[in-house]
Amino acid sequence: MSLIETPIDATAALEADGGPALPPADPAVPPGQWIKQNLFSTAGSSVLSVVFAAVAFFTYWGLINFAFHNPSRKWDAVWSNMRLLMTQSYPVSQYVRVWFSLGIIMALVGLTVGVMRSNAKMRLTSILTKLMAVGGVTIVTALLINNNIQTDPETGEFLRALKISPRSGELEPIGDVLRIGYGEALAGRWWVFLVGGILLFGALAAWVALGDRRRFIFLPFLGVLYGLFGLAVLSLWVIPYGHYIQIEGVSTPTKGVTVARSTQGPWTVMFLLLGIAWLIGRYGLPSTSSLKALMFGLWFLSPYVIIFVVLRDPALDWSHVWSTDVPMFAAFALLGGAMIWFLTKPGLGEIGRVIAALLIALAAFHWLAGFFGWYPMLQKARLSFLVLGLFGLAAPNFAGDKAVRRGFVLMWVGAMVVMHYLITMVNTPSTLENVQSDSFIGGFLMTLTLTVFGLALSFPIGVIFALARTSKLPIFRLLSTLFIEVSRGIPLITVLFFFATIIPLFLPEGMEITKLAAAILALVLFSAAYVAENIRGGLQSVRRGQFEAADAVGLSTAQRIGLIVLPQALRVSIPPLVGQAIATYKETSLIAIIGLFDFLLIADAVILGQVDFRQSRFEPLLFVSLVYWIGAYAMSRYSRSLETRLGVGTR
Amino acid sequence: MSNTDATLALNDELASRNDMIISDSVDKWYGDFQALKGVSATIKEREVVVVLGPSGSGKSTWIRCINRLEQHQGGRILVDGVELTNDTRNIEKIRSEVGMVFQGFNLFPHLTVRDNITLAPIWVRKKPRGEAEELAAELLERVGIPEQADKFPGTLSGGQQQRVAIARALAMEPRIMLFDEPTSALDPEMIKEVLDVMKELARSGMTMMVVTHEMGFAREVADRIIFMESGEIVEVGSPEHFFTNPTEDRTKLFLSQIL
Repeated sequence: MSLIETPIDATAALEADGGPALPPADPAVPPGQWIKQNLFSTAGSSVLSVVFAAVAFFTYWGLINFAFHNPSRKWDAVWSNMRLLMTQSYPVSQYVRVWFSLGIIMALVGLTVGVMRSNAKMRLTSILTKLMAVGGVTIVTALLINNNIQTDPETGEFLRALKISPRSGELEPIGDVLRIGYGEALAGRWWVFLVGGILLFGALAAWVALGDRRRFIFLPFLGVLYGLFGLAVLSLWVIPYGHYIQIEGVSTPTKGVTVARSTQGPWTVMFLLLGIAWLIGRYGLPSTSSLKALMFGLWFLSPYVIIFVVLRDPALDWSHVWSTDVPMFAAFALLGGAMIWFLTKPGLGEIGRVIAALLIALAAFHWLAGFFGWYPMLQKARLSFLVLGLFGLAAPNFAGDKAVRRGFVLMWVGAMVVMHYLITMVNTPSTLENVQSDSFIGGFLMTLTLTVFGLALSFPIGVIFALARTSKLPIFRLLSTLFIEVSRGIPLITVLFFFATIIPLFLPEGMEITKLAAAILALVLFSAAYVAENIRGGLQSVRRGQFEAADAVGLSTAQRIGLIVLPQALRVSIPPLVGQAIATYKETSLIAIIGLFDFLLIADAVILGQVDFRQSRFEPLLFVSLVYWIGAYAMSRYSRSLETRLGVGTR
Repeated sequence: MSNTDATLALNDELASRNDMIISDSVDKWYGDFQALKGVSATIKEREVVVVLGPSGSGKSTWIRCINRLEQHQGGRILVDGVELTNDTRNIEKIRSEVGMVFQGFNLFPHLTVRDNITLAPIWVRKKPRGEAEELAAELLERVGIPEQADKFPGTLSGGQQQRVAIARALAMEPRIMLFDEPTSALDPEMIKEVLDVMKELARSGMTMMVVTHEMGFAREVADRIIFMESGEIVEVGSPEHFFTNPTEDRTKLFLSQIL
């Protein structure tokens, strides 16, 4: 991995030869002239510049002092409660499961990035300017903070002036808080200045030393990210954040044992795992489309494995599994697969359509029978019959080439694996102590779970509703419009209440819906309506000529939609869809309203309940905002790069 | 031999061939406006028919009715013996035998040139991918742009795009090719490259129906010229007859305006 992509020597040689002209250096505008041109060009803009610079400065000053100086700020409230914020009350004795899950994700990220051969580059100049900015802001911030209250180095309490107590008549520390001089306070923060200075002047030195060559130096973007991750992990070994650890769910002050110390080992393992997985993916595996598809499949399966197997540790009844679950799965996968193989035979014609219709009718009959209780059948089997019918209906579109048919049959087997697996797992109790139903998920893990499932389910449903709303069949149009308008017309909180409290009342006896499942369902349906509207906009932007061309080459309606219209519509819909994804990510915090302990509720309610942190309301909230912002900003940046990448060849 | 005799001789020759397209008093309305008024014509196997006429005369509407991009409301259309009705299977069968080239190319912008061409053979003809890709390479060679296979349509010139569109239509191995003003959206210097491909296609014996304003092409390649105006067929004849000795006044007026 070479850091310098453009050979500098070649550049110099070209210049010497008077060969092809190189892009000219950025015109060097003296700072004074730049300021004059951009900030003080006219009297009016001068006034505006000064006023808004002052507003920005004082806002920042106030914010910084609010965050770091206010006498009662205790950032320990965040660091010490990391475990609570991330996973709520997941049993400490089983915590290795959380790390294992994170390890799975790290390995997948590394492998995927390696196999994708991502080659994104960052200009050194942009990194240097960012470093200078961070260094400069750090120094200014350290100057602005007015943290001059004297504290007891042992207890951290404020030192106060001695005053004669009206009760005892003796001198007691009950007067005003003792302050130190500004200069002394600054001297106490020497290390902040040191760090800021190193960043600012180091980057400046590199900038000057490299001269014009700096414009031709590029760094791998992912390498820079990995480096930042490494620095964060290193900081755990150097700075002992968080002076408390959680022991059996109780925040316990333990001298010498900090959150940083207890997580530095696992995080180092994660860091190494990510790097090793990347190396394997980059240099050990080929970048073939089948491998990329496998990666996609692994990502698709990972939430189910992580949540239902690793984190939940189901107490499987193996005799039941071998006697019922596995044989039933095998029967559906094999017999159903054979049937679908037959239905995708080219030139099957009418017989295929009749069989597909019969399958649907059979599935419908099983549900009817279940409703009236004519004969017993596992819900799993009924669902499988229904899915088989739907696959049969779609089969003619996959008729033809053996590879296409095989792919479709594999899709069926995959659907059966996921379905049977999920239903079995959901109905199996957990072996973890104190972990009943879904309470093993909480904190940021809950936010992530809701986001991942919410998005993964609402996108396909949204696509279906968008297609239905633009369909030629009036019944589809009507139902879809009804659903979309109703969902969009009701506040999400109402939907959450409805699913959490009212739906359980209507469920038949013996059937339960956990609060988490209800919340996911509500989020999915709510967000699907918005997704549908976004995609409908994309569908309308596909030109008529595309439909005609697809018809003219003989594609069927389903093929036209799947191969021509949707790919183009989705591309156009990326910006609004990412907006919706970010909205869903943030809206997950509303589930606090039905009593689920997500990231926000823990920060706002649980930490406030701890004896040590009664006053610390703002620190966790600021931290939560920061984490939400990082996630949303990453999504937004990713969508921008996706737009550029997919835009290739369209215009 | 007079022009009329030439037309008669042509008619005799054509009578021995199979009928590929039969349009029998086809009517089409847009609201109250009648775009086609009883259009009747028969197009034979291996025949090249050029449809001429002023704008709004119904030429495009007619050609689009033939593969059901527009639905006709009266009369009958038979393509290779199959009647176009509301039966989806008939429509699908006809569309897979009739290739169409549009004025605006209508290439699929999200697919490479190769994928544009192989899409229908793979998904409609059920060809294995390898075979379809060989066919695509052959066709791109035939239309003269074998080196563009991996590019996206948006990066090609108009003439190249239209040639890809022809290759895409040919990939379905159609028995009939319909051209709806294939050169109208092109810059003048690109028209020739597309017309050359069409001439080569005509020489290879493809049945073609071409709506165009290219008189040179009509004169050189057409077996028959159909002149339409106001949704009706005004005159039918060989190019020689049409350009040198038209019988109808409306045809004469049209020719005097454009020649």
